[in-house]
Amino acid sequence: MQRIFHTPDGVRDITGSECDQKRALQEKLRKVFLRFGCREIETPAFEYFEVFSSEVGTTPSRELFKFFDREGNTLVLRPDFTPPVSRAAATYYEPDKTPVSLFYTGKTFINHSSLRGQLKETTQMGVEHFGDDSCDCDAELLAMTVECLLESGLTEFQVSVGEVDYFKSLIAKAGLPEETENEIRELISQKNEFGVETVVMEHGVEESLAKAFVSLSSLYGGPDVLDKAEKLTDDPVALSAVDRLRRIYDILSCYGYEKYISFDFGMLSKYRYYTGIIFSAFTYGSGEPLIKGGRYDHLPAHFGKNAPAIGFCIVIENLLLALSRQKLLKDTGYEIQEIRYLPEEREQAIRTAQKLRAEGRAVRLFAADKEVCP
Amino acid sequence: MRYLTFALTKGRLAEKTLELLQKVGITCTEMQDKKTRKLIFVNEEKKLRFFLAKGPDVPTYVEYGAADIGVVGKDTLLEEGRKLYEVLDLGFGKCRMCVCGPESARELLNTNQLLRVATKYPNIARDYFFNQRHQTVELIKLNGSIELAPIVGLSEVIVDIVETGSTLKENGLTVLEEVCPLSARMVVNQVSMKMEDERIRELIRSLRAVL
Repeated sequence: MQRIFHTPDGVRDITGSECDQKRALQEKLRKVFLRFGCREIETPAFEYFEVFSSEVGTTPSRELFKFFDREGNTLVLRPDFTPPVSRAAATYYEPDKTPVSLFYTGKTFINHSSLRGQLKETTQMGVEHFGDDSCDCDAELLAMTVECLLESGLTEFQVSVGEVDYFKSLIAKAGLPEETENEIRELISQKNEFGVETVVMEHGVEESLAKAFVSLSSLYGGPDVLDKAEKLTDDPVALSAVDRLRRIYDILSCYGYEKYISFDFGMLSKYRYYTGIIFSAFTYGSGEPLIKGGRYDHLPAHFGKNAPAIGFCIVIENLLLALSRQKLLKDTGYEIQEIRYLPEEREQAIRTAQKLRAEGRAVRLFAADKEVCP
Repeated sequence: MRYLTFALTKGRLAEKTLELLQKVGITCTEMQDKKTRKLIFVNEEKKLRFFLAKGPDVPTYVEYGAADIGVVGKDTLLEEGRKLYEVLDLGFGKCRMCVCGPESARELLNTNQLLRVATKYPNIARDYFFNQRHQTVELIKLNGSIELAPIVGLSEVIVDIVETGSTLKENGLTVLEEVCPLSARMVVNQVSMKMEDERIRELIRSLRAVL
């Protein structure tokens, strides 16, 4: 039999100081969540396929790890936590009556195509808040995002915030077929301005709307972007979306975190489940966002409770990578004291070790001569 | 200031890109030396770095942030399907992605008989036949000289880039359908776009002015 000593493609062992650092980071983030009054939750590693199906989840079905139980039901290894936590919140709490705020830590599994340098198993931590649709709640989640990043040790980062209702109201006004709508959505999220221009011209979109669509790709940056967005439209829904962002920005100033915030009206998700703000956090050294989040008010209804919801998730591996590339990973200072003893010193040695361990020190005992100590 | 890193597609696209960059005052003298064996070229004054890569690798470098900016053909972008910002159509390297074959295959395209399609671009071909034409075909991935496939009977048609059509003509093939127009695009990493907002925006603005 051929013995296998390496792990499959896309998964890996984490050992030694890397493991210490990862754990230390998770512990710091956990404290942030607790400070904001969130309760911890654990959900199973696999669930019924329906929990992650295309109406609910954001991972395409072909990228899910699927298998069957003995009754023939399709089971899925969780690709993210939002649907399971929403399911659990709807089952064990009453988010439609009192707000609930839950946080989680755990592995997620996505069957990416191979040889793309993407891990198939990643550790995610995050928060899901149910039952509050105010902009204060939006701002608090953003403040928590900022605090998580500060606590991790990062100093240079940006949280980019968008509002999907702005785009949604404009696209509804244009009355385009769904296919074209998806095309425009895709092009705008790729900041492909000339692509948007071609499509809106082709479909003869009314001039002021066309101009707004084309501008969306470059509509990102500091708070002045809000004024620009306001001038582009007179649609009441779009305007209230801008107004909401402005209010969120003002609330974040109370926290003193407004300097980390920027806006991006071109940030649209492929997935329609986002209903209000949507945000991502970026820093140097990681080509991908460290944190992604947003409001998804319709999701809890899939699990039987009508409650607004908002959340974000941190991909721990991305955050660790960025920290290490920016040389911000500190030594965890994990020291082990070794005590070697001869048989006649055993009692004394054990007593010393117990005393040190009681003080919280790390101690390893070694019997000095194995021959003599059976 | 950090370096902004450019990944350019080796060959004519890179030359054209450098010409264009020169127009907006960005030069890289190190790169003009044809004999150099250097892999990475630096413009210290403007804090820019350039390197050359094979077309399909450019989106990979940019997606992971190893390069902030890339210049690559639309065909490669469609085929690779990476998460990137596609910010500019540079206008050069214009050509078309087409379904080609002998004239006799035109009829076959519209029947539901088994159709074998040879291509270097299986993802583009799959998307076109499955999602746009709603037709089941058998795809054969080849790595070059795609025109050969219908001539020797490996496939009925091919999906490939057509620039002038002269290779097709010489081999008795013709364009049967157009899949999409292509040209060189400038792509930007999603994080770089935010973190280096001003420099990249300025670059896009000045490039747009000379296009």
